[in-house]
Formats: sequence, C-alpha cells, structure tokens
Amino acid sequence: MANETQTQNVSVNNFEQCLKCSICTVYCPVSAVSPEYPGPKQAGPDAERYRMKNKEFFDDALKMCLNCKRCEVACPNDVHIGDIIQAARIKYNTHRPKLRDMMLANTDFVGTMASPFAAIANPILKLKPMKAILHGVMAIDKHRTFPDYSSRKFESWFKKNAASEQDKFNKHVSYFHGCYVNYNYPQLGIDFVKVMNAVGYGVHLLEKEKCCGVALIANGMPKQAKRQGEVNMTSMRKAIANGHQVLTTSSTCTFTMRDEYDHLLGIDNHDVRDSISLATRFLFQLIEKGEIKLAFREDYHKRVAYHSACHMERMGWVPYSTQLLRMILGIDFVMLESQCCGISGTYGFKKENYERSQAIGKGLFDQIKEVNPDYVATDCETCKWQIEMSAGTPVMNPISIIAEALDIEATRKLNNLD
Amino acid sequence: MKFDIIIIGGGLSGLTAGIALAEAGKDVALVSAGQSSLHFGSGSLDLLGCDEKGNDIYKPLDAIKAVNSKHQYNKLEDVSSLAGVAKQLLERAGIATTGNITSNHWRITPIGGLMPTWLSMEGMATIEDPDQMPWRKVALVNIINYLDFPTKFLASGLRDKGVEVDVKAVSLPELQKLRQSPTEMRSSNIAKVIESNELIVKLAEEVYKVAGEGYDMVLLPAVLGMTNSEKSQQLLKLIKVPARYVATLPPSVPGVRMQTMLRKRFTALGGTFFTGDQVTEGLFEDNILKGVKTAKLDGTTLEADNFILATGSFMSRGLKADYNRVYEPALGVDVDDLGLDRKTWAKIDVTDAQPYMEMGVKTDENLRCMRNGTTISNLFAVGSILSGHNSIKRLDAGGVDMLTALQVANNIIK
Amino acid sequence: MTTVNNNHYDVIVIGGGITGAGTARDCAMRGLKVLLVERHDFSTGATGRNHGLMHSGARYAVTDHESAKECIQENMILRKIAKHCVEETDGLFITLPEDDINFQATFVQKCTEAGISAEIIDPKQAILMEPSVNPELIGAVKVPDASIDPFRLTMANVLDAQLHGAEVLVYHEVIDVIIEQDRMVGVKLRNNHNGETLDAYATVTVNAAGIWGALIAQMAGVKINMFPAKGSLLIFGHRVNHMVINRCRKPANADILVPDDAVCVIGTTSLRIPIEECDDMRVTPEEVEELLAEGMKLAPSLGSTRILRGYAGVRPLVASDDDPSGRSISRGIVTLDHEKRDGLAGFITITGGKMMTYRLMAEEVTNLVCQKLNINKSCETATTPLPGSEPKEETKRFSFSQKAAQGRHGTLNDTIERGEAANDALVCECEGVSVGEVRYAVTKLHVHNLINLRRRTRVGMGTCQGELCACRAAGVMCNDDKSAQKAINDLNGFINERWKGMQPVAWGDNLAEAQLTATIYQSLLGVDKLANERRIEYYEI
Repeated sequence: MANETQTQNVSVNNFEQCLKCSICTVYCPVSAVSPEYPGPKQAGPDAERYRMKNKEFFDDALKMCLNCKRCEVACPNDVHIGDIIQAARIKYNTHRPKLRDMMLANTDFVGTMASPFAAIANPILKLKPMKAILHGVMAIDKHRTFPDYSSRKFESWFKKNAASEQDKFNKHVSYFHGCYVNYNYPQLGIDFVKVMNAVGYGVHLLEKEKCCGVALIANGMPKQAKRQGEVNMTSMRKAIANGHQVLTTSSTCTFTMRDEYDHLLGIDNHDVRDSISLATRFLFQLIEKGEIKLAFREDYHKRVAYHSACHMERMGWVPYSTQLLRMILGIDFVMLESQCCGISGTYGFKKENYERSQAIGKGLFDQIKEVNPDYVATDCETCKWQIEMSAGTPVMNPISIIAEALDIEATRKLNNLD
Repeated sequence: MKFDIIIIGGGLSGLTAGIALAEAGKDVALVSAGQSSLHFGSGSLDLLGCDEKGNDIYKPLDAIKAVNSKHQYNKLEDVSSLAGVAKQLLERAGIATTGNITSNHWRITPIGGLMPTWLSMEGMATIEDPDQMPWRKVALVNIINYLDFPTKFLASGLRDKGVEVDVKAVSLPELQKLRQSPTEMRSSNIAKVIESNELIVKLAEEVYKVAGEGYDMVLLPAVLGMTNSEKSQQLLKLIKVPARYVATLPPSVPGVRMQTMLRKRFTALGGTFFTGDQVTEGLFEDNILKGVKTAKLDGTTLEADNFILATGSFMSRGLKADYNRVYEPALGVDVDDLGLDRKTWAKIDVTDAQPYMEMGVKTDENLRCMRNGTTISNLFAVGSILSGHNSIKRLDAGGVDMLTALQVANNIIK
Repeated sequence: MTTVNNNHYDVIVIGGGITGAGTARDCAMRGLKVLLVERHDFSTGATGRNHGLMHSGARYAVTDHESAKECIQENMILRKIAKHCVEETDGLFITLPEDDINFQATFVQKCTEAGISAEIIDPKQAILMEPSVNPELIGAVKVPDASIDPFRLTMANVLDAQLHGAEVLVYHEVIDVIIEQDRMVGVKLRNNHNGETLDAYATVTVNAAGIWGALIAQMAGVKINMFPAKGSLLIFGHRVNHMVINRCRKPANADILVPDDAVCVIGTTSLRIPIEECDDMRVTPEEVEELLAEGMKLAPSLGSTRILRGYAGVRPLVASDDDPSGRSISRGIVTLDHEKRDGLAGFITITGGKMMTYRLMAEEVTNLVCQKLNINKSCETATTPLPGSEPKEETKRFSFSQKAAQGRHGTLNDTIERGEAANDALVCECEGVSVGEVRYAVTKLHVHNLINLRRRTRVGMGTCQGELCACRAAGVMCNDDKSAQKAINDLNGFINERWKGMQPVAWGDNLAEAQLTATIYQSLLGVDKLANERRIEYYEI
C-alpha cells in the first residue's frame, strides 16, 4: 500500500485535477452569449465540490450547457468538465422534461411517425401557421426549418436494394445508421454502402437499432437513453461476435456510444467500445495498412472546407477524416478554424436558444462565407442543418464526398473485386 | 499515420518548432493535450529579465553569455540569429512585435510593476527605460465592473514612478450584460462581445469621452482580439490619442491571440493538429523512437523520423511529481530532479528560488532526450520541460521556449 | 499614554479565541461592561487550528467520563444556538481488524453512561451509510458527532458580545499588566499595527489566551504549568466522507476524519513542544507521512485524494495544580482564581477544556466574575441563539454564492448587499465569495487584511488557494490609492501564507497549482518585487 500512497489523484471525472486556470472559459461557446449560464469552470469543477456537500447547490442553469465538450478539449489537465456538468444534471435535476423536449429527444419515434407521411409532414412543418404553432405551443423556434423527413426510410431502401447483395462479399461490417440517415437523409447511408462495397466490404444492419440517445441525454431523459443504449449494446455484441466492426457515419452517435454510455449513463460498454468506429477512421486505417485502395475520378474538382464538429474534436479523430479527404487529389482542401456551430443537436431548435445558437455559430458562418467552398465537409448531421441554414453552403459528410469522387470501377479493380 | 516530425505539445515551444519545420517543407504533426500556458501570458515574451540576484537585466546578450552551465541557452549555437528568426517567425504568423535581443524593454504588469522583457505584441504598453517614464499624465481606463484589471494598484505603481494618473471606467450595455454573470465577465468573454466594428467604434467614443483631452497616454486592459490583432489595433486608432494595452489577470487575451495565430499558421502550412489528445506511450527500438500511441487514437500509431517533446513543466503536465518521484509521463524519458527527494523539492518561503522550478528532462548538447541514461537519437526536447532554468526568477520563459525550439528545428533540418 | 475611551471596564477579556469570545459574550449578556482584546486576529490560536469537529463526547467516554458528559451536553446546545456553524453529519467509530473488537462493548457502555447515544451498526450497513469508510472494518458504532466551523463560531460570539455592548480590539497585544498592591487593575496594550501603546482598566481581568495564557500569567507574577502539544492536520481538496470517521479504540494519532465545508480534514499528530515554538509551527514530512498512513486506514481513498495543505495547532494542556511535575494533565476545564490561588485579586485564568466546551468554560468563568462583582444574573448563553442562528424563516437563495454565503453567515446573509451586478460578481470562484460578501466582512467583521478576510469568508480556501481571488479581493479591499502599497504587501503576504500550508504537501496537482500561482503572481504581476515588506508573522499563517 505504501508505494501507492499519493501516486494518483482520483476523483469523479477528474474534477480535482482542475487548477482553476480558467482556460475552459475561453472556449465555452455559451457563456459569452448568455450571462445566465455560469460557464464551464463554475458549473463544473467549482460547484461540484459544493454539490458533493449538499445537492441544494445544483443550479438549473446547467441545462444551458450545450454538451459540446469544447471545455474538455481545451483543458490541459484532463478534467472532464462537460461530463461533470451533464452528470450533475442527471443526478440532481428534479424537473420533468417538457413535451417539446420529449418530442425533440425522441428522434426515432418522431421519425417513425413522420416518415410514412413525409409528403404531408414536410410541407406542413414548413408552413408558416404550423411553424407558428411549433414556436408558440411547442417552443420550437420559428426560424428553424425541420430537416426534411425522407419519404422512404434508409432501412427500407437497404432491404429492397442492397441487403441481398451483401453476403457476396468476403469481408463484412455492421452499420449503425442513426436516426438522421434513416429518416432524414438516406442518401448518406446509400453513399456509405456504395463506398464500402467498392472496397470489398459487405454492409449489414444491426439486428435492432435504437437512437443512440444523445438527444435524450441532452433533454433530461437519461433513463430512456440507458434503455435504448442497452438495446444497441446487445445488437452490437451479436454483430461483433460475427466478426463485424460496427461503423457509423455520425461523429455524435459514435461519441455517445463509445464515451457517454459509460461516463454518463453507466452502461458497461468496455467490450464493445473498441469495435465501434467512424467510417472515415475505418477506411483510413485500412488504407494505411495497405488492405484497401481508393481511386478517384480525374474530373473531380471541388473546394472543400472541413468543419471540426464538437464531438469529433472531443474524440480526437478529426485527422482521420481530413487525411482521408486530402487523398482526393481533385480537392482544394481548407481547414476551418475549429469552433462550435451552435446547434448542438436539439439545443438550437428550442425557441429560448435560437438567438444564442446563432450567435455562437456566427464566427464559423463568417469564416465559411469568406472561404466560399463548394462544400463544407463535416462528420456531424446537426452541424449540417445549422450550417446549411445559416451560411447557405451545402454540407456533406466526408463519406458522401468520397462516394461522389470515387471511381468505382477503378477502385473495384484496385481491390481485386472483378 | 506517418509524418516527418511529430511534436508533442501545442504551446509556444511546440508551435514554434512546428512552424519552423513546416516552413522548411516538412510534414509535421502536433499532438496537444489541451491549451497552453500562453493563456497566462503578459502579451510579451521574456528572454532573460533578471540576474541571479533578482536585479533587472538591461543588455540580455551579455547576460546570456554569463548564464550558469546548466542553463539551456548554452546549447544554442547563435543566440542573436535565433532571436531574429523567432521575431520573423512571429511576424509571418501575423504577430507583429516590438523589441530586440540587444536591449530589454519593460512591460507594465497589471498591478503596476515594470518587468524586463524581449518581444512585446503590438499595442502593448512598454517602456524603453525603467528609470525614465515616457509619460507625464496617464488615463487608466477600465471597463466598469471588470475585476481582473486592478486599476488601484496599477495607478499606484505608475504614480510611484512619478506619473500623474487618473482612473476612469467606461462601459457599453453589451458589456454590462456580461456582468449579469457573477463569474463570466472575463477578458476572453469581453473580447467575444466586442467583435463588431460598431461596438469598437462605440467603445472608442466612450474612452475618448473620459480620456480624450489632456493625457499623453491612455492605458486600457488587453481584452480585445482573440483571433487576430485587427480589432485591438482598430480601437487604438479610433481613440485618437496615444493609447496602449496593459495585461490583465488570466485568461490573457493577447496570449490566446498568439496561440490562435500560431496554430492557424501551422495548419495553413499543412501541419496536422491532433487536438485534446495525450501521448501515452513511446515505441522505442534500440535508441530510436519509432512511434507514439495516444489516448484517443487507439489502434493507430503515430510514426515519424523525428520527435520533439514540448509538453511544458509541472503546470502544463509535461512533468509530474508524486509522493515518491518526479517523472516525465508521456514517454518516460530521464528527468533531472536535482538529486532531491520530496522533502526538499520546495522551500518554505514562496519567493525563494524553488528547486522544483529547475527540474526538467535531461538532454544532451543537441537537446536530445535520454532514456535510462542513453541518448535517444531522434527525440528532442524544447521549452519549459527542459531542466536547468527557473523562469519565474530569471524571466526567461519566452526565450527558452522559442529559441530552443528553433535550435532543435535547425538540428533536425541539418 | 492614553487609556481606552478613558473608561473603566467591569471586565477585560484577553484572547480572541473561542474561549475569550464566548466569555466576552457571556459577560456582556449579563450586563457587564466588557473589553475583549486580541493581539492578532480572532481564532489564530488553537481555535482556528483543529479539526472543526463537534465532538459527541464519545472519544472521551472511556478515558474521561466528565469530559464526555460535558461534550454531549454542549453538543446538543450548540446544535440549537449555533446552527449556522454546525453541520449535523453524525459520526462513526469503526473497529478495524488490527483493533480489539472487545473494546466496542466497553465503548458503547461508557457512551451510554455519559448520555451519548451510541448505536452499533452492522459493518455492511456502515459502508452503505458512509461509502468511503475502510471496507475491512469489523465493527461500527454511530454517534452524534458533527462538523462545526470554529471561525464562524468565534465570530458569532464576538458579534453577539458587541450587540450587548462589548468593545473589541483586535491587533492589540497585552504587553504588561497593571498591578496596584495585590490587585490587577488593568493591562498595557500595544497596537500591533502602529506600535502605539495604551492602558485599559478593569475590575476583573480574564486571561483566556490559550497556551499564551502562561505568558500573561508570568507578567502578573503567577505561574501556570502549561504543556503545549502540537497537533498537525491535513486538508483534502473535497469531501471524501460525509460522516465523521473515528477509530474505536483508545484515542491515538490521526484517527479522526472530519468533513468540513467543501473539504475534509485528517488529524492529528501529537508532540510536546517548548512554548517558544508555539509561535512558529510547521508540519514536518514525518507528520505528513503518519497522517496519511493512519488516515488511509479510516478511508483508503485518502491515498489518492488531492491534499490542499497541512497546518498545525497547539493544545493548551494544563498540569493539575496539585501535581506541579506536569505528569498529571487535565483535559478538563481549569478555572484559576488567582485571588485564592496566588493572592492576586482581579485576575482569573480560564484554560484547559476544548473548543466543544467553550460555552461552559465561559459560563464558569463568568459566574466567578459576577461573584467578584457581586452581580446576580444567570447565564443565558445556552438558550439564546447566536447572531446568524436565530429562528427565522430562511430567505430562499438561488445563486451559488448566495447559497455558499448562507452557509457562512446564516441569517446575517440577508444583510449582504445583493442584486446589483457589481455586488454579485464573484471574487473567489472556488468558494463562491462575492464582492458584496467581501464588503460585508470588511465593514462588519473586523477585517484588516486578506488573511482576516479568509477566516470570515473562505476567500482563498478552495483548491486553487488564492490563484485569482487574492488579487481580486485585494483590489476590492483597497479603498484609496494611499493604501495600495499596503494592499500589495498584504497580497504578497497572503500568497506566502497560502504557500506555507501547501509546501509540506507540494507534489502532484498541488505542485502544479503552486507553479501556476507563482507564474501569475511573480512572472505576470511581479507582486514579490513590488512588495516592500516581505516578512509575514506566524500568527498570520
């Protein structure tokens, strides 16, 4: 025991490694625009000591935290500031979520309801009177355009058009498509299947997929998030037992399932975590090992600006996507200065947050306008909504850009598939 | 992933080395575990401010020649030339500075002291000769309710040096909105609020109202311009009378600006930045470092021909001390702990020269690290992690950071 | 030479520790004209340098029945009269495999005899109640221990004394006593801020100066056999435990872990030292080692918890009068009527005892004072709440700093100026101290420097030990330019005072913190170069 004395400083989410240096406050996108928010240092490690003494010290203003984790990325002392704040919300918050928050949080339920009626739902959600109702009754900001609900779910497309082809491949992966691909933007899933097939991988869906739960956590519904997380873990364990990696095309889903499940929800994911990866990372690693090759169209020329989504930054995985994009010779690549776009999932949808959300992202939008790219590339779907709405530039997932730039025939040949 | 050079640590020394090497055409990656100590900076970089007795140094070149044998300045081939390169490197990153290596100038501290320094960012208030204040009458203009700019001390310090000082304060509604938060009226948040041209013009008008006439210098807290110097320079111009900035308590806006601009320069040169990640292990073969593992890139090894350790001292976690020992946590390279045990790391009076301040990694004459007593041929160390200097007592942090980084860049390019 | 207000007092109380403050309060409440004098700040001696433990008395139950009984009685009284200073945590007495479990039965029996509720708890249940406790425990007893803040308690007694007309002089040191024939008629005081001297006269002088009381007695030509016992303690960065944890065995070193405010404290060591050393005590590396080794037996996680600082106090142990050799030490209350004992009228010494029994000590000595003054008024301190603890509906508080200040000042929190941004801005972010609270302390609570301010408000007592707040607080306290240099000296002294506690535990995050603080105060601000007085006195530590 003696030689273990004082060799480590152990505290929940490392809150006591905090040197009170205040660096995190420089990078918080919220505190400068909303003085009601106590800021990461005060809401996190400072107040945590007092909350440990008495739960009365919990402050409802903590719900204003975006959970972007930029404070954690900036912290030189490895304090999990964002986790401290979110964990405090889960532990001490006594308010029940509002109907609006429940609706925003249940991305897959609402998606399931809306998709069959997409032709009706999309125009209705865009109509002024409907927006006024959402704004007034539901407190969803009227400036927001709901992402379109696709008329056909990705899962339906996959079953009809792709599923039967997948067993032909020698190598296989499972795909956690997430709510966004399934309900709003199946094209990204289609692009993913196209790219994976081109390099010799068959794609399979999980036996059962639930929303990763990120929106449930943010909207104060940790119990439901935990239930859904357990379902995902069970499905993933089966896929992993079949030798599959589980890939996603969303940095936020990936981050939630790898890190938040364990840190915030207490889901034991240690046996699954390493097998969950982002598609760009998976591809990069295979290319690096020489196991696959990509060939790109020679006539492809685009100016692409990469935006580091908050959770991508938190995972430390930005270089996987950027190095991959840089392999496309026809791309004029620009790295945008890393800052939060302000949407943070469902946060920016709420009426009370709209202005704040736009103020947070302003610097980024100005930067994009200045760079004036053909596409902004980013690994997060909610950044896509925000940037397309606010900067007017089309936003693509790196996988979609690769799919667009890929010379399929040449790639198949390079990977000995013909 | 493979690069020519991997730098561990993204503060002043790491970025200086990274930029110098990227400018020389190298493929450089930088792994940084959070933001750096530039955030506690003064807006100036010190080279060698004080002698062994604590007296101010006027001519640093002579003093550098006389530093004790353990000081890292002894490992620099040509201090003057490196210092010139450093200034130009900053300039190319868009960071204009005043000052040079032949004579120190003096920065004004937030509580009214004068400290000898080497390079000051444009717009910072500096004094050429500490015995002769250049101003007769100064207006000290704070922002109302901003606590991290102690005007009473600053005024008193200037008065002691024979300057007539009036203390004023101004505000804008946008700024008072910040003060609705008990904690978040911080320098960096003020900088974020005062972003638009419109507000800068308004602020300049407010300052001019209280300090327009009769002052030969207006001093302001350095709370403008986190991403570039445009805004802070614009305000000075708009005030119409000579005006300069004085550093505040942390976070340091000029420091954040320097950090941001250096990083931007590094990325623009094609450098790859691994943000918020920690090197956890080095893969050594014989006396060569082949690659490093990080906390977040599990499954990926970062490989390079050369590596530079630029992770800073204790407060930046480049060094760690526990109950039993002082060690370097990333790669486990040898540390000079001055042969002391825990009971003697720190002295009783805080203003004494603290032994722990001089601890750091051991390096050979080419600034290469050692492991178990053997030199690692492709692993270098730069900046505050180096042993043999006390930057608190000697005021040499900026110089050690930049000059050792440039020396190592030269050593690698050769 | 001047006298205080040209006035004559009924009683002069020497010593601004809890005993002196409590005595001044009791005397004032009985209508006496009181002067309380303190050479430095309140609670700079043993009062401010203990565990902050509100004993149930269980610790003394087996060895000292009388003390145990006093403790539990006072414990119940303090819960009522000083509720803003007390946190009702309860305590555990745990038996470890290396201890004799048979002691537990004796312990419970003796507790019960003394009137202390002592409930045997199943070890598994004890772990549920207090998860930090050593899981290897084989026995546990729950007792009504609690946590108490001695700084607040002392201040509340002083405030109440003042409310009842007492005059208070801090930084006034007794440099001599004035004796006429066989009677002490007053004291000579030196103002420790400006060196001026003055005389104060009283019918009775009460020596409540703790260990330094021996020196006061010496001035009066009487001898008290005191044995200073140094006790060192360590403060951890946050609360590891929520209940007090003690060892169920005969009292020994480092066997109490107390949750205090946002921290927890392990102690103490015990070492006899010469009285000359009482003015400059330091925690030694050996003491740190012992405290850690023993502390980890109570709560193993202390081995991996950040330590903020170490400090040492001195117990004023008194040899019984009938045994001048000093072998028989009384831990009980010692009231010495020097008229009877030494033939010197007008002089009484109150000593021994413990913080827990301060009120009872005050009552005893005040009874004696009243007897000498032929005043027949009964003691009401046991039933009258202290300022801050009045039964009053608490104002609902929302912000972090308001809640934190509520804990520090109780109902007096309402007198802190709030509502305007300028008052609500935080000076100390770790402990939630606002500009308004600093101003309140400066105007109402005898604050002359940053260290005084720290004792009243916890400025600089958080994990960073003053990294930003010290400079902010100095700025708020500095009223005019003339006092700027003094404030800079104060700031420099404060940084050094914080370091004194950090230095014995300077490793890990604490060392990193120290380097950051030095970077800010020395490199960025240059405070050490601007200060023109570097020495700080022990009493400021």
